[in-house]
Amino acid sequence: MIPPIVLHGLIYGGVAAIALLTLTAWGIWFERKFAGRMQSRLGPTMVGWAGLLQPLADVLKLLQKEDLVPAQADRTLYLLSPPLTVFFTLATVAVIPFGVDVAVANLPIGVPWILAFSGLMVFPVWTAGWASANKYALLGAMRAVAQGISYEIPMLLTALVPVIFAGSMNVNEIVRWQAEHHWIALWPPGPGLFAFVIFFLSCLAEANRIPFDIPEAESELVAGVTTEYSGMRFGLFYLAEYLHTLVASAVASALFFGGWNGIFGLPDGIHWMLAKTLTLFFLITWIRWSLLRFRADQLMRICWTYLVPASLALVMISALWVHYAPQLGPMWGG
Amino acid sequence: MGYFFDAARAMAMSLKSAFRKPTTIEYPFEKRDQGPRARLTFALVHDEHEEEACVGCLMCQKICPSQVITVVPGKKRPSEATGKKRGFADDFVLDMNACIYCELCVQVCPTDAIVMTQEHMRPGFAREDLVLTMDKLYANEQEKELSWGRASILLAMQDPKRGTDQERAVTKKKSAAKAATKPKPEPKAEVKADEPKADTGPTEDAS
Amino acid sequence: MSASSAARPSSAAPASAARLGVDPHRDLSDYDPEADLMVLNMGPQHPSTHGVFRLKLHLDGETIVRAVPYVGYLHRGVEKLLEELTFVQATPIVDKNDYVSPMTNEQAINMAFEALLGIEVPRRARYMRTLFAEMQRIASHLLWLSTFGIDMGGALGGGTTLFMHCFREREWILDLFELVTGARFHYNTHTIGGNRHDIPAGWAKQVHTTLDLIASRIDEYLELSTTNSIFVARTRGVGILPKELALELGITGPILRASGVDHDLRRDAPFHAYDEIEVKVQTEPDGDCLSRALVRVREMKESIRLSKLLVDGIPEGPICGARPIKNPTQFKAKEGQAYVALETPRGELGTYVIGGGKNKAASPYRLKIRPPSLHALSALPYLLPGHSISDTVVILGSLDPIMGEADR
Repeated sequence: MIPPIVLHGLIYGGVAAIALLTLTAWGIWFERKFAGRMQSRLGPTMVGWAGLLQPLADVLKLLQKEDLVPAQADRTLYLLSPPLTVFFTLATVAVIPFGVDVAVANLPIGVPWILAFSGLMVFPVWTAGWASANKYALLGAMRAVAQGISYEIPMLLTALVPVIFAGSMNVNEIVRWQAEHHWIALWPPGPGLFAFVIFFLSCLAEANRIPFDIPEAESELVAGVTTEYSGMRFGLFYLAEYLHTLVASAVASALFFGGWNGIFGLPDGIHWMLAKTLTLFFLITWIRWSLLRFRADQLMRICWTYLVPASLALVMISALWVHYAPQLGPMWGG
Repeated sequence: MGYFFDAARAMAMSLKSAFRKPTTIEYPFEKRDQGPRARLTFALVHDEHEEEACVGCLMCQKICPSQVITVVPGKKRPSEATGKKRGFADDFVLDMNACIYCELCVQVCPTDAIVMTQEHMRPGFAREDLVLTMDKLYANEQEKELSWGRASILLAMQDPKRGTDQERAVTKKKSAAKAATKPKPEPKAEVKADEPKADTGPTEDAS
Repeated sequence: MSASSAARPSSAAPASAARLGVDPHRDLSDYDPEADLMVLNMGPQHPSTHGVFRLKLHLDGETIVRAVPYVGYLHRGVEKLLEELTFVQATPIVDKNDYVSPMTNEQAINMAFEALLGIEVPRRARYMRTLFAEMQRIASHLLWLSTFGIDMGGALGGGTTLFMHCFREREWILDLFELVTGARFHYNTHTIGGNRHDIPAGWAKQVHTTLDLIASRIDEYLELSTTNSIFVARTRGVGILPKELALELGITGPILRASGVDHDLRRDAPFHAYDEIEVKVQTEPDGDCLSRALVRVREMKESIRLSKLLVDGIPEGPICGARPIKNPTQFKAKEGQAYVALETPRGELGTYVIGGGKNKAASPYRLKIRPPSLHALSALPYLLPGHSISDTVVILGSLDPIMGEADR
């Protein structure tokens, strides 16, 4: 007999994972289409109407490909790394509230959970680079670890801002607090919005998106950690990257934009969460196809000289605000 | 902060181009007009008496920089139409595997027999498919639109004693010869409707 | 370190390289023994080596301590091949040398043959050659800007947006060439004594339309590149090539001008019709990657201006000053030699040809092509040490090498 809590977790988790993977697939389709239009191209057009089935075709193609393992590679680590990246990314989904009280797990330690699994992402990337026995992969993994660990800090600190305001580490509670009071990105005028910007930039870096995509940097490091991977294992890395982007968008909208909370008094629900997540995803895509990338040392400098001090200051400001001006509501009441 | 500002400008630019019309031409379904001078594949043509124009003089074989043309000249025999004795080619093979599309064979042909076409050749699955035999070359004359380039036109155009060339997409040898002897025409200001319009790009959007 | 590289004399480096603090033949055996040096072979199969080019990088972490370029992967023996072919067959072959700027290649070889054979080019043909060269310069620099974007923005990002846009513009110029010559790339439109194809009716108007459109678009794309602070952060102060070193290495073209040397054959040794128009030579004092980018972008704008002047000013007359090609051996050279240099988008392309005399009259006895790209690549051992791998692709991209030309 399966205990009901496990059953609940399995069902909700399965549904959430499948929904997210589907969303990711069409996120990729959207990105390709949008990038194509930006570049005076058409994007996918052949598979299905307007190329809508292109992600499916891609997956089928990747599945058919030979799964190469270099002779020098550390076989176990090499084979294990790609599924682990997807697993760690999917694990963060567990605590994200998609609708009113719709979450796989309503954990009281939601925010640390997200940050912990996001931090764990560094390991499969590092093992993949190490196990590939390829110099480009090693350099890419080195960069990925340096970048991941550095940007972890501003991400962690800025995620504290909503926690301080809402007085809870439960993501659902944070969203509920925002629904009752106000969105954190909008009020108080300083810390919330800046915290969101820094959090967003850190997410870009964590998800290896341009302008922070130096671990992959295909013009320099061929394909970074994924240099030796082929077939579906490469596809898993690819999937994890997009999934990470999508999850980061979801987390950002839950923490800073009130998650499932509707605007103008419209009914709350999962549609708001979806809309906000996709808007942020669109923003990330848009940034990606518009900007060039930074150099590794510039990236580190931005992180340590601007983002880390700024996020520390934001944490202090929010703490002071909560302590001294807790009654100061937004000008529109709330 | 400068990064944010410039990132915003770059993003505005890319979004602006997202609303422009794409320039992609979906090749197998639509084809780009490549202009009358396009040099895409070869054809052997018949002369005005419906006889094979090639006289098997080997000029193209000699000039070809990549040596892809093999001509087997035949015996001279009287032409059925005019009764005059003239040469014929028994075989003519053009190996497109190594052709560099330089148009020199077209230029040196004394009888305007070999021309290039405005249409691509069909891709093949084997190297042999890319070898244009005599049959294929004569079939190309019927199947494909021939290019403007002919030996007589090119030579008239390059004549050191000549003024500017009044050239249109001439396909008939006679009119080409006429054009070559014509005095200098006025510099043509207006673009005629039948003018080559391969660059669909610049007219693609006015923004 | 291997014995062979340790045995190399360090004194081979030009004196001015010392100013950079870089010894290209650095003996790494006395390098910090604690450091774990790694040798990385960048290329010949690498996405951003602009062809098949191999760079052997000695890395300390990600910092390059020594770089050794290897060329020759695309060697096809073009010079020897041209000695076997006759004068009239050479043009379509040299098209394939600098495959980004075939027009200037054709012009170079034909100018050399014309000088050897003593043939005059009519004025109309000279104007047309000038126009083609300038339009080809726009196309070539557009391709450089696009690939430079790829080098810095990656194949999956903003770099591709720049790439696609620049390629679209370049295609429009190739479309114009196609209307004249029938080919988009390997034109074979120049011949000994002039041009093979006259420009068709209404072409000038199309040139104006296209160039106006490109001129209006270029500023837009600079938002992604030279006026964008991310681009500037990546290129400013990176890969500084001092004036003296550039001169010693024989570097020409935009790279030399970006190092502050005001040298352009179009103005200093006019060929074609350049003596009849005024070329504004663009220079930058710094010699870093940003300077090279700025010089090329400004040259592009200058070329648009020149092309519009030229297309309006083409005089009437014949387009070929010699008997048109009718058979392979129609041009016979006496014993003698000729060297002709002209300014291609990449710099000074020299062609040296010796006439064969009686025994080999219809083909060159010896032919040597001096490609600007090869000389530009020779600067890499001086530019790279001290920079990271990320900078390698930027520096390599800013030199705009074309391996077909460097390896011949």
